[in-house]
Amino acid sequence: MEEQVGALWHKLITGAADKRYPREAVSLEQISKTAGILFRAWGGDGGLAVKSAVATQHGAKRSLLQRIAGSHLKTELTWLDGETLNLPATIDLFPSKQLNRDLYLWLIALSATESDPSLPWIVRNQRATLEVLERFPGLLGRYQRLVDALLPMRPQRLAQGEREQEAAICAALKFPGSVESLPAAKRPPQPVYLWLHPNPPSSPAASANNKEPQNHEAGGDVKNIKDRRYQAERVDMPQGKDGFMMMFRAESILSWAEYIKVNRPTEEDQPPDEGAAEDLDRMSVAQDGKTSASRLKFDLDLPCEASDDLPIGEGILLPEWHYKKQLMQPAHCRVQPMLARHAPALPLPAHLSSTARRLRGQFAALTPSKVWFKAQFDGSELDLDACVQFSADRIGGVQAREQGLYKAHHYRDRDLACLLLADLSLSTDAHISDNARVIDVIRDTLFLFSEALSATGDRFALYGFSSLKRENIRFHILKEFERKYNDEVRGRIAAIKPGFYTRMGAAIRHASQLLAKQPATQKLLLILTDGKPNDLDQYEGRYGVEDTRAAIHEARQMGQRPFCVTIDDKGSSYLPHLFGVNGYVVIRKPSELPRELPLLYAQLTR
Amino acid sequence: MSELPFYQPHSNEIELFEHAYRNRLPLLIKGPTGCGKTRFVSHMAAKLNLPLYTVACHDDLTASDLVGRHLIGDGVTYWNDGPLTRAVREGGICYLDEVVEARKDTTVVLHPLSDDRRILPIERTGEILKAPPEFMLIVSYNPGYQNFLKGMKPSTRQRFVSLRFDFPESELEQQIVIGETGADAMLAKRLVNLANSLRALKEHDLEEAASTRLLVYVATLIGSGFDPAEACRAALVEPLTDDEETAEALMEIVYASFG
Repeated sequence: MEEQVGALWHKLITGAADKRYPREAVSLEQISKTAGILFRAWGGDGGLAVKSAVATQHGAKRSLLQRIAGSHLKTELTWLDGETLNLPATIDLFPSKQLNRDLYLWLIALSATESDPSLPWIVRNQRATLEVLERFPGLLGRYQRLVDALLPMRPQRLAQGEREQEAAICAALKFPGSVESLPAAKRPPQPVYLWLHPNPPSSPAASANNKEPQNHEAGGDVKNIKDRRYQAERVDMPQGKDGFMMMFRAESILSWAEYIKVNRPTEEDQPPDEGAAEDLDRMSVAQDGKTSASRLKFDLDLPCEASDDLPIGEGILLPEWHYKKQLMQPAHCRVQPMLARHAPALPLPAHLSSTARRLRGQFAALTPSKVWFKAQFDGSELDLDACVQFSADRIGGVQAREQGLYKAHHYRDRDLACLLLADLSLSTDAHISDNARVIDVIRDTLFLFSEALSATGDRFALYGFSSLKRENIRFHILKEFERKYNDEVRGRIAAIKPGFYTRMGAAIRHASQLLAKQPATQKLLLILTDGKPNDLDQYEGRYGVEDTRAAIHEARQMGQRPFCVTIDDKGSSYLPHLFGVNGYVVIRKPSELPRELPLLYAQLTR
Repeated sequence: MSELPFYQPHSNEIELFEHAYRNRLPLLIKGPTGCGKTRFVSHMAAKLNLPLYTVACHDDLTASDLVGRHLIGDGVTYWNDGPLTRAVREGGICYLDEVVEARKDTTVVLHPLSDDRRILPIERTGEILKAPPEFMLIVSYNPGYQNFLKGMKPSTRQRFVSLRFDFPESELEQQIVIGETGADAMLAKRLVNLANSLRALKEHDLEEAASTRLLVYVATLIGSGFDPAEACRAALVEPLTDDEETAEALMEIVYASFG
């Protein structure tokens, strides 16, 4: 009963205090594709991902009702950092959908405009506004409508000082470029929804020693992690050896919010409740650079040599691209080719045999495109050129040579080599349905793909990869180009197992080296993955993406065609950047991958 | 050769063309679609007062389509020159547009013409034509084309002096739009800015960049009284993408430029 009354009261009071229009809300999800395109078209960096920002505490004065309701403490602001453009998850500020959508577009235009981060917030936003209006005169009308709608929402009754501040902001909105500084006041001003905020909002101290943004590594889960950025604060890792362990979770909100310098030796943390993270003003993350690495010691140490796969050769040193330094770091990674130690020869698994048979049938008929061959001795149509030539020669008295007078429709021999590179990182261990893991799907895909390709006669090779930092990139040999597809290869495919991380760049570089040795004129490099490039060290986020992009670019330079098949439904945010708009495909239902990939191959090489 | 077709040079291409022509070197022009390759060739042909034979290559094009064939008429046969042979006989420019589209065996007939021999052997008639000094061979292709199974044979490519075209600088492109359509400077500036925004999306969201030719279309539609935003949709956005969501996003960019 108490709970019900409480819930009712909460609904009532927040409803009364809330001057927003949830019915007219526009969410980032609805416009995410548009947002990305606009951001890039207007000059934004193509490598940035568009994400929803988490709310920030603004500290400005609230109305009485809002204070009673305990709401409006925080607001979602727009800001930019080295990896992402952070936009509010939804905008329901204005009473019309059109205005809310316009606000999104305005914010995108503003963030795609270069601005000097050293300028004060108010000056910088006015300058950016002016520049956007000059570059895109069509936005002027929208801007005016937005300002007209926003001004009545600005706080009216304010204390001395705050009033001047507010007046300055309103003037700056109405006449951008007219205000040179923000008068000081006790409280920060109400957030201005039409402007950008510094990164990260409001606390310059937190970013001061923030050298490299570090995301949480995505271990082995394809579960839909919410696409949000939490505002993190860098705190020094306590050095003390004692302290107490935080074992009690019920009050996680309190214990999370105020970071006490507690020594928490690495423990197996439960993934924290996301709700708690969202309620926090700031999540404290100690930057000891070891959080993920030391946790990994538990589960991802390399297996002992005897039970590990057989390493072949000394390993191959490969360079890696550092996007911040804009330079190729020579001999930065070591790729170790490996062969499965226990991989007895096997026939094709029984559950695939019917699909395989169908695919072989389709492939035998479908792939090599039919072309007309001229001057054949036998064919379905007359070759007019040859006939005319023949009659002309005959009438002209030239000794008629024996020649074919027909056109025939045949398959053209193809000069094509295809290398399939499969991601075998630990994330493929995740379940995608009750009885299948990603790795099972990848295994089935490899089987069916090989079956289909061996029916066409195209040359192909299969490799798998995973990595554990830059010196341990494991490159599993499944089938080389020269090896026949037989039970031994099938045994190796059956023996693939998930492990470690996804250092994609180095694996792609090695694969394209192998492919380059093939004499074929057409070379297709197919990459089969379930997620973004990542590894334990800096190889995550933008670093990994940019290195992979560089590797893809090199493969193109070598005349190969890279193509990515992914089962990461979040992939559309970074895949175009890596592979180009036509260079990848996202398979929505992983269970369909084994069937889709061979068909895709048929399309690619048609 | 009545009037010189309008052409706005980007850099030294006219000079290079003239030098290549004087020294009897074949020319290869590469560049994205709609950036003015064909226009450049017809401009130069008119300027040098040479006949121009253009062949749009396709994948069923054979060597006899270029060289010529026998035709039968009324009990006799006669030889009919193909465009290449005609250009060699008359001393003109033979321009093979989108040469990578042609089958690879076709382009081999170009080899003896494109090195210092400058001859065209006609197998069927037993003739060997020696190209006069006025003959010039030009081929063009679009390297960005996402055509996996096609590409130019390096041995063919290495016989040509190569010229790379790209979309012109903003200022130049504005002048081109003005020169082609008589649009006012303001409109030309907006269109070029819009095109540059769209070009930033190439490889990421769009397959091909917005071409100068499309801008000329848009300006022509607007010039004849069509609504500007709708003209952009019809002649710029829709030709670039089939995806509805992308088209809507591109229209937002258009609205931002035109209001």
